[in-house]
Amino acid sequence: MQMPADWPTGDSRPLRRDGASAVELDDNLALYDDVGQLLILLNASAASVWGHCDGSATLDDIVRALVEAHGEDARVIEGDVRQTVRKLADLGLLDDGGLGFDGRGDAMVGG
Amino acid sequence: MGTGNRWAHCTPEFHALSYCFAVRSDDEELARRAQAVFAGLRTRARGTPGPAEAGVRRRCWYSVRTAGDGAVDVWRDEAVLAACGHPDEAISWIVWDVNRSAADTGGDHLLFHAGALESDAGGVLVPGASGVGKSTLTAGLVRAGLGYLSDELVALDLSSGRLLPYAKPITLKAGSFGVLSDMRPPWDRAPEWQVAVGPDSGLAVGRPCTPSLVVVPRYVAGADTTVVALSATEAFLTLALNAVNLVQHGAAGTDALGAAAARCTCVLLTTSDLDAACRIVLALLEQRAAGAGAVGAGVATVFVEE
Repeated sequence: MQMPADWPTGDSRPLRRDGASAVELDDNLALYDDVGQLLILLNASAASVWGHCDGSATLDDIVRALVEAHGEDARVIEGDVRQTVRKLADLGLLDDGGLGFDGRGDAMVGG
Repeated sequence: MGTGNRWAHCTPEFHALSYCFAVRSDDEELARRAQAVFAGLRTRARGTPGPAEAGVRRRCWYSVRTAGDGAVDVWRDEAVLAACGHPDEAISWIVWDVNRSAADTGGDHLLFHAGALESDAGGVLVPGASGVGKSTLTAGLVRAGLGYLSDELVALDLSSGRLLPYAKPITLKAGSFGVLSDMRPPWDRAPEWQVAVGPDSGLAVGRPCTPSLVVVPRYVAGADTTVVALSATEAFLTLALNAVNLVQHGAAGTDALGAAAARCTCVLLTTSDLDAACRIVLALLEQRAAGAGAVGAGVATVFVEE
């Protein structure tokens, strides 16, 4: 099922998928995805977004947390977070929580 | 392994990680030469699992048959491996096939395209693709007194985090003959030198050890010798790119790579001078042994030898 163009929305709750092993390297993060057999290196910013994808924080929560931490323009950070979450989903690293992209607009949301 | 009686000489068994083999020939001198070349694979260093414990995955005979015109055929069990114009080429073919078979059967371990050595300060990994100078640097460091683990295929035991010896002969190409001329083997008509290690060679086989230094070699003709610190991320990516079977080990392999990258001093060594490169590696090991952080990430160039 295709990812909707407007996903994720502000109230989406992205969730890291089980089976991706993470290794911290400097400020970066290496992820090994056992399912896709991919080794993926996240830079510090992407690693930070990944760290927030716990299925309880909404996209807006993640943006707020990163604005607080980095003090940068919220619109810029929101764009970066949205792009990063989509990329992580493209790579199959987010769990769809059994919902899939079913038109509810909250695909990849656990609960 | 049975020996039959049409062979002039049969070698004892050798162990290349989980691959076990022996060589026989109707030419006694040739078979004894093979025995000398593979002597490092007879050495079981203290702390190395024996064949039974290590789990032999495959056993093969290499049979070398001479013809009247000086040509030589090499067989692996019942299949022809190579038809050679000169006996020295036969040894190189066997070395090549042993290396391939060691990689095919050694999948219990995380394998790298790399050289490796043992020192008092821990293991040294020299990762890199063919042609970057890893065999040359490895040979130079063995000559300088470090214990030899491998020049081409390195096994990391995931349960202990230690590098294991796979002491195949050191394979040197023509570009290295000049700087390592004292390692010239008595048989040298093949395009490559197969330098024996282990007993009687004067080149020691190392023991299993935990890696403490990663040296990424880069040979550049005419270049000064420089060493630049690599970050843990850069070291991790270098090791991952040179891993043979990372997919097979998945998360466990990734964790092991991360642990090695975090624990080791990691440097990029650019050189055109083998002696200078060896001096720098030995200096880095001395600093590791002394407990100093030899090179910190972010330090641009810490040694330059002109």
